[in-house]
Amino acid sequence: MSTTAAEPLGFKGFMRPDGRVGVRNHLALVSTVALANRTAEHAASHFDRLRASAGDPVLLIRGEFQRGLQAADARLQDEVLERLATHPNVGAAVVLCHDRRAAQAWSARLAAWPTPVEVLAVMDSRGVQHAIDRCVEALARMDARRAGFVRSDCPFSSLTLALECGGSDASSAVCSNPAIGRFVDRAVAAGATVIVSETAEFIGGEEVVRAQSQTPAIAQAIIDRIAVTESRMAGDGDHYRGVNPTAENIEAGLTTLVEKTMGALCKIGEARFAGCLAFGERPAVAGLQFMDTPFFSPCSITGMVAAGAQITLFSMGVFNPSGNTLAPTIKVCGNPDTLSRWPDGIDVGLAELIDGRIGLDEAGVRVHDAVLRVAKGGITHTERWGEGQFIIPRMLPTF
Amino acid sequence: MPRTALTVHPGDNVVTLLDFKVDDRITQEGLPLIGSIPFGHKAASRDIAPGEPVIKYGVAIGVASRAIQIGEHVHVHNCR
Repeated sequence: MSTTAAEPLGFKGFMRPDGRVGVRNHLALVSTVALANRTAEHAASHFDRLRASAGDPVLLIRGEFQRGLQAADARLQDEVLERLATHPNVGAAVVLCHDRRAAQAWSARLAAWPTPVEVLAVMDSRGVQHAIDRCVEALARMDARRAGFVRSDCPFSSLTLALECGGSDASSAVCSNPAIGRFVDRAVAAGATVIVSETAEFIGGEEVVRAQSQTPAIAQAIIDRIAVTESRMAGDGDHYRGVNPTAENIEAGLTTLVEKTMGALCKIGEARFAGCLAFGERPAVAGLQFMDTPFFSPCSITGMVAAGAQITLFSMGVFNPSGNTLAPTIKVCGNPDTLSRWPDGIDVGLAELIDGRIGLDEAGVRVHDAVLRVAKGGITHTERWGEGQFIIPRMLPTF
Repeated sequence: MPRTALTVHPGDNVVTLLDFKVDDRITQEGLPLIGSIPFGHKAASRDIAPGEPVIKYGVAIGVASRAIQIGEHVHVHNCR
């Protein structure tokens, strides 16, 4: 019997100097460019062995390009990496650059940042081993600094939740998505922020956007983004069936993108959009936010986490391993077959919804209970497996 | 044993099968089913002519690419 979550409760989180709240206190190592990634990997694994940190490894965030990226792509890469390095779930960070000039630029970017951060350039070293050793020493300094944060009472309204779905099937539309929707109604009413993304999965849902936006201008901004995505999909000369809906969506019974959209939209409950965000953009106000992102989950989650989401709510039909290492990912599933086959990958099971043994209100309470459990420090399955990727989209060619 | 089938919206012309009893051929609402329809897949709740919209959630999710009989599996082979 459920006894909690009749009202949105507070939780014990990590209050940062700027008032934002973390549900984790990670030591992060951010490599800003692929050239520095291997040094970062060596340093992280060496540091983890040194302090035997099996349950709390260094959180490694790797950039792919940066060098070679043009204009808006280069700016987005830097902005997103900066927002990840300074995410509220990070207690202290080491930022590893390749060259000295990049390190100077990153030091300037992060100079005013209130949580501990140290910037290094690989090229300031005298040998590969020295580069790794310097990074390990910086990790040790930052590890000591993050220990200054301890959990204290934080309001529920300090939470930003990322909504995601993957492996969608018919059960997503009748179980996990509407259960998350019930939770979203309650969370938004309590002053929290909720971000939903994947622009392609709003194609066909324009009327829902119009009906569920706080102002016509917000609705139009979202619908304009949907139209841009739809025209890109139609104009790329490729046939997108098999891409979206994906092969596993089709095997699970979803026939068209509009069918997938209508199921996915159940995630937002009755809430109304309070804003339309670009990839990784921090919301200006609380409430339900739309973010314009590509449709595949590791990328769209990266955008919502960069915007400050501390927890990801991930709705599944068939199993999908996707998650995020920085924002604990709560997997919610109502497909009885998936629940029996993937018990070590699902955090909230809702199979009883299918045969009517529980209703959506009870399902929403289960989601809420899981959010509070994880906010207080409870470990999700994706964290246990160390599952998750950071993927920043690119729009321009590389020369 | 009748199968569990959900009509999401009253204006729909398909239902969604929400159980694994693929050998049974009738839904709890009395809709006769043609063939084994897996969990989560759709069946036509009335005849749908070629070119006619396939309606779920009260919206056109696609168009019939050929004639679909009542009770027939509706998916990528006859809807796009």
